[in-house]
Amino acid sequence: MSDTASLQVPPDLAEVAEEKGIPLDLVRRGLALGFPADAIKGQLAMPGVTAEAAEQFIAAQEALRGPGGEISVPADLLEIAQKHDWPESLVKRALALGAAPDFVARQIEAGIKADQAERFIAQQEAARSGGLAQTLDLSWMKVPTEWGIRVRPGKRGLTVEMLNVSTYADIPDHWPYQTEMPRGAYPMKGVAPMGYSIYEKAELWSDNSADLYEEAIQRRWRPATDIPWASIEPLPDEIERAMGQLCTHLCERGLLAGDIVGRWLPEMSYGYHEVKLYLSAAAFDYARQFEVFRKRAMCNGGGLGLQSPGYFHRAIIDARAWTEASAVLHIFSASQLMGLYQIGAYVAHNEAEALIFSLGMQDLGRQLAYGVQHLRYFLSKKIDRRAEVHNYLNKAEAVFAFDDEKDVPLREALIILLGGGTSSDQVADGMAKLEYFKARWIRDYLSRLAAAGFPERREKLHPSLKKYVEEPAEAAAA
Amino acid sequence: MTQDVKTKATFPSVEWFNAIREIVNDDAGYKHIGTCDATVGIKIPDLEKYYRLTFEAFEVSDVSEATETEAENTDFWLEMPYIKWKEMIENIEANGKADLHHTLNTLDIEDPEDLARSNDGYRRDAFYRFNQTFQYFFDTSARIDTTFQ
Repeated sequence: MSDTASLQVPPDLAEVAEEKGIPLDLVRRGLALGFPADAIKGQLAMPGVTAEAAEQFIAAQEALRGPGGEISVPADLLEIAQKHDWPESLVKRALALGAAPDFVARQIEAGIKADQAERFIAQQEAARSGGLAQTLDLSWMKVPTEWGIRVRPGKRGLTVEMLNVSTYADIPDHWPYQTEMPRGAYPMKGVAPMGYSIYEKAELWSDNSADLYEEAIQRRWRPATDIPWASIEPLPDEIERAMGQLCTHLCERGLLAGDIVGRWLPEMSYGYHEVKLYLSAAAFDYARQFEVFRKRAMCNGGGLGLQSPGYFHRAIIDARAWTEASAVLHIFSASQLMGLYQIGAYVAHNEAEALIFSLGMQDLGRQLAYGVQHLRYFLSKKIDRRAEVHNYLNKAEAVFAFDDEKDVPLREALIILLGGGTSSDQVADGMAKLEYFKARWIRDYLSRLAAAGFPERREKLHPSLKKYVEEPAEAAAA
Repeated sequence: MTQDVKTKATFPSVEWFNAIREIVNDDAGYKHIGTCDATVGIKIPDLEKYYRLTFEAFEVSDVSEATETEAENTDFWLEMPYIKWKEMIENIEANGKADLHHTLNTLDIEDPEDLARSNDGYRRDAFYRFNQTFQYFFDTSARIDTTFQ
C-alpha cells in the first residue's frame, strides 16, 4: 500500500472519481496494476459504476497478480483454456487487460477461437499503449469529400435545406452514380448498381421538396388521439351510410397513392434525396389518409361501403413516367380530392369530422405543392415535351370522367351529404351543391396548372370538365 | 381568486392583430402545430382597410397596415366585408373558437369567390397547407377583448 500512496492521480481522473464517489486510494491501486489513467477514467465514467463494484474489481485483479506483478491463472480457468486449445499466455494477457476470470472462461466456452481472441487482445493492448492507430487502415479518412462543414440551426431548427451548403449544395442535372451513395459522399469502386431508372433532375425535381419534407414532419398529426372522436354522435342512417361510402372511397385513394409513390421511390437515384425524403413523408400521409377515414367509417355505428369502379385508379398507377404519375396524382387527382375534402368540411356534423378534413387538406396541400413545382421545373427544362404533358392529362381526365359517371354510389353519397337527406328537396339541393363543388375544384385545378407554367390546359380540358369552367368573358361579366 | 385581464383592442387595427400575435408567439400550443411560412393579406374592402401578416417558422413575425396592392402581394389574402369579419370574430368570442359554420375553411367554401384569394394558384394553396395555424391565430382572438369600430 505504501507504493500506491505515492502514485499521482491526474486531475481529470481525480475529478471523475470524485463525481462518482470513488476513493482516490482505489484509483491509485488501479494505476499500480498497470491500467492507464485514461482507461480507468473511461471505466469510472460509465453509468452504474460504484465504489463497491470498483473495489471488488481491483481486489480481484490484485489477487491474480503475484508480488512481481506476474499474472497467475486460476486453476479452473486454466483447465478450461487447455481443453479449448487456448495458450496460457493468451489467458494471462486477457486477465492483464482487466478481464475477469469467469468472463474469460465464458468466452472460451462460447467457442471463441484462440486466434480470434489474439487479434482482439492485440488491438486492446495496442490501444492501451497508445498504438491503436497503427492497427487501423485509416485511408478512408483521406477521402476527398468536403470537410469542416458546420451548419448551425436556424429559426426552424436544423433543416434538410440548410444542409445544402458549399459543394453539398451542388445538385447536378444528371446523377452519374447507379448505387445508393448519398450526394456528397465519395464513390467506392466495385459497388453493384441498384437498378434505379431516374437519373435526370428534370424528371423528379421540385425546388420545395426539402421544405415540404420538414413541413410534413413538423405538422404531423395522430388520428388516434388528435381527433375528438367523442364529438361524433349518432346520425340518421342515410347520412351515416353516405359518410361511410365517402370514407370507403377516400380509403381506396389513400392506399392507391401510397402504392404509386412506393412503386416510384426505388426508381429515383440517390442524388435527389430531397425528393425521396418528401415522397417518403407523403407516403406516410397517404397511410394516415387511409387510417383516419377507416376510423371515421367504423366509429359511429356504420361501416364501409361499396368499392369504387377503379378505372381512374388504374390510369394513375399505369403511368410510365414519374412526371406523368405526379401530374396526374399530385395535381389532377389531388385537386379533385381537395374538392371532396371541402365537401367533407362543409357537411361536417361534428368537430371530429371538421378537423379530419381540415388536417387532411394540410397534407393534400403539400402534395399539390410538390406536383405543381415539379411540373413547373420539368416544363422549364423540357420545353419540347409540353404536348406529352397534355397527353398525360388527356388520358387522366377522360378516364376520370368515365369513372365519375360510373361511380354512382359516391355521387349519390355526396348528394345526400350535401343535401342533408334523401327527400326530393334535399336531393335537389345536394345535386346543385355538388355542381358548385365540382366547378370549384376544376377552377382550382386549372389555376394550379397555370402556376406550373401550363395555362393553356384550359383550352384542352376534357369536355366533361370544361362545362364547369367559366370563360374569362363570362367571369368578367359576372 | 385571480382573473385574467384581457387585452382590449379594436377590430380592425394593427393593435388588434398585434394583440393576437403577442399571445400566439408565447403559446406552446401554437408552436406545437408546426412551422408555417406564409405572408397573408387581410382585406376589408368596404372599410378600405388592409393588413399584412407574416408567419415565419414558429411565430408571427410581423403585422402591418398595408395598401390594397400590398395586401394582394402576398401568398394569399383573406377578403370579406366588414360585417362578415365581425360575425366571425363574435362567433369565436362566443364559443372560445370558431364553430363549424365560422371556420376559415367553411367561410372559404361558402363564398363562390373564396375567402382566401390569390393571383397564383400555387401560393394560394398555402391557405390549405397551414390551415390549422391560421385558424389557431384567429381563434386566439377569443383571448382578447375585441371592440368594433
